[in-house]
Amino acid sequence: MTAVVRVADLRVQFGSVVAVDGVSFEVRPGGATALLGRNGAGKSTTMRVLAGVVPPSSGVAEVAGADVATDPLEAKRRSGYCPDVGGLIPRATPWEHLQLSARLRGLQDWESRARSLLEQFDLGGEAHRVTAGFSHGMGRRMSVALAVFHQPPVLLLDEPFDGVDPTGVDATLEAVADARARGAAVILSTHLRDLAVEACDHAVVLRGGLAVASVDAREMAGEGGARAYRALLG
Amino acid sequence: MPTERSSADRPALPGPAASLAVLLGLWGRGLGTGARIAVVVGVALLVAITVVAVTFPSQIGFAPELTEAMRQYLPVGYLAFVVTTATAVLFGGGGREALPAEQVVAFPVGPTTDHLAGLVLAPLNLAWLLQAWTLLASVAVLTHGGHTWAAVVPVVLWLVAATVVVQWLSWVVEYVRRGPRGELVVRTTAVVVGLVIVAVVSTGHLLDVAEWTPAAWASSLPYLGAEGDWLTWLFGCLLLVAAALGAAILGSGTAKLTWTRPATTQARVETRRYATRPFPRSALRALVAIDRGSVWRSAPLRRGLVLLSLLPVVVAFAGRLDWLMVPVLPGLVASGGALLFGVNAWALDARGAVWRESLPVAPVTALVARAWVLVEVLTAASVATLLICGWRAGPPNAAELSAAVCATATIAVRTVASGLRWSVRRPFSVDLRSVRATPAPPLVMVAYSARLAVAATLTGLVFSVVGRLFSWWVSVGLAGVLCATSVVSLWWTARLWSRADVRSNVVDTVASV
Repeated sequence: MTAVVRVADLRVQFGSVVAVDGVSFEVRPGGATALLGRNGAGKSTTMRVLAGVVPPSSGVAEVAGADVATDPLEAKRRSGYCPDVGGLIPRATPWEHLQLSARLRGLQDWESRARSLLEQFDLGGEAHRVTAGFSHGMGRRMSVALAVFHQPPVLLLDEPFDGVDPTGVDATLEAVADARARGAAVILSTHLRDLAVEACDHAVVLRGGLAVASVDAREMAGEGGARAYRALLG
Repeated sequence: MPTERSSADRPALPGPAASLAVLLGLWGRGLGTGARIAVVVGVALLVAITVVAVTFPSQIGFAPELTEAMRQYLPVGYLAFVVTTATAVLFGGGGREALPAEQVVAFPVGPTTDHLAGLVLAPLNLAWLLQAWTLLASVAVLTHGGHTWAAVVPVVLWLVAATVVVQWLSWVVEYVRRGPRGELVVRTTAVVVGLVIVAVVSTGHLLDVAEWTPAAWASSLPYLGAEGDWLTWLFGCLLLVAAALGAAILGSGTAKLTWTRPATTQARVETRRYATRPFPRSALRALVAIDRGSVWRSAPLRRGLVLLSLLPVVVAFAGRLDWLMVPVLPGLVASGGALLFGVNAWALDARGAVWRESLPVAPVTALVARAWVLVEVLTAASVATLLICGWRAGPPNAAELSAAVCATATIAVRTVASGLRWSVRRPFSVDLRSVRATPAPPLVMVAYSARLAVAATLTGLVFSVVGRLFSWWVSVGLAGVLCATSVVSLWWTARLWSRADVRSNVVDTVASV
């Protein structure tokens, strides 16, 4: 099966700092890959490259056939991205975020799905309040809802569980499962190994900008997985 | 045997002044080498201009009528300094902050430090500096031949005392505003005070009123010093020092009281429910709607827009205008509009910038949307000023009208071009949520406001001369040439913005609030 996401020898450099140093991995349709690693390992930068927010210094990053370096607009059309921090326009309401996304992505009859997503993420009552007044967890849930809204072939979730309550975690896991069921490729970056194992079938461990392991997610489960993970983090 | 550490064992917390020094040091350490050099050059420039203001004008031989007018209006100048400083601080909800509140939340920074920061940073405002230099220069001219230093000292003391009193007043207003029905009380008081000022100015009683205020007494002190009436001079100076110290202490106490009440202005904006907008018919309209909301739902920007809308009213009641001045004023108001957010336009998105950048839209469309919203603000402010100025100046001839309209359009286009260029080249991480927020650090704001004001004044003056000397179409031709240069600048900015690495840097910076 052809990979939906292809990252090959990806390198990202900011001045003298090398944030990502030759990372490679692929995600097939319906697959979900967890990006694991310590702070500063290069997870978020890799996600930002795939989302078309940060240009790669070298290497290949393809999203559903679109090269993010040469065709970033198409890559953005084919992906849904939940950034690691914030991710919401402070003085716009959730409904306005959804409206903007629908307009820019050319969605038709989007309102019922928008309402359903807001209910799924327990934000139905906050649809017309500006997001600046949201708690951190509410913001995270809204960011995930925006990422999955247009049912993209590639779903990029950066720290989607950070500060989220159990109901929100369940809603996010359900959204990931739905995306996989319709054949989308999911990349999920998180520090919560147990949730990564639950949501994903594959895991890539990054350290200092390098991919130090690419394993079946089940190998990261339980006590044995925890020991292996700690050993990989160094 | 007690095992708890005694208070003597605990590390002593730094006092307010030391805390402020730490905060300013923290800000300084965050600067790159280029920015540090720019800060040193900027401060040196401010000191140099102050020295020139005190020494140079007194060497020029002014006409006796002009000197007499300066002498007559000096108390008004003293009073105007207080009014404009008060306006800036009151609209800022307590004056400037050393660092934004969200950046210092982890440190034990108290209200006294906050109060001190407001005082220390108050002069980093172009209106404050221009008026201070004008007063210093006027006094130096009026006391030429006497003891210049003795004339200048009470002016400096007045500037300090007025700034400290105004800072105290701003805390009082903020305390009331945060209380029950505070917004209503403050707005009603502001309208009443505004109407009184308008009534005084429009009925020609400004000089009479100024004579009844402490400004008249304070403006007499430089003459005493220059003429060597040392005892009265010293007594006056000591009174000003006492006023400044008293207001500083009162201000600190009121700041502490104000901190006990939660800020409500932004909370009201954030807890409101907003009506659903119709589905936009194009990507550009969708982006413009979001950007417009980001401006009108931001407390500091709303207050700034209210202030901008008041400026034409002030112009209207300031007295009869000549068409020679009309091309200058709308441009100056437009410059003020750009300083609200236009010099760091991408900061409107704050952390949402990362998500916005991941949306499938051409970079130039996002740039055009931001420019459109900036144009809306500038046009509303400058056209209102132009209409009111025109009304006060009486019927124009074709050349005068053409010069005024062309100057307004040219300066607005130029201001948009400058603002967007700076926004792309030098983004700042700013949360425009707080009423005290400005789109760039204080010293940078002084530099931006000076550049915009100088460009607007010079352009306006050129059009004034052209309108007086040439036919109407010369202004149109000149505007065409000047607007073309601004369009080229906008085109270069668009090219820069189309580069992924440049956008990535801007997004990374503005999203790190």
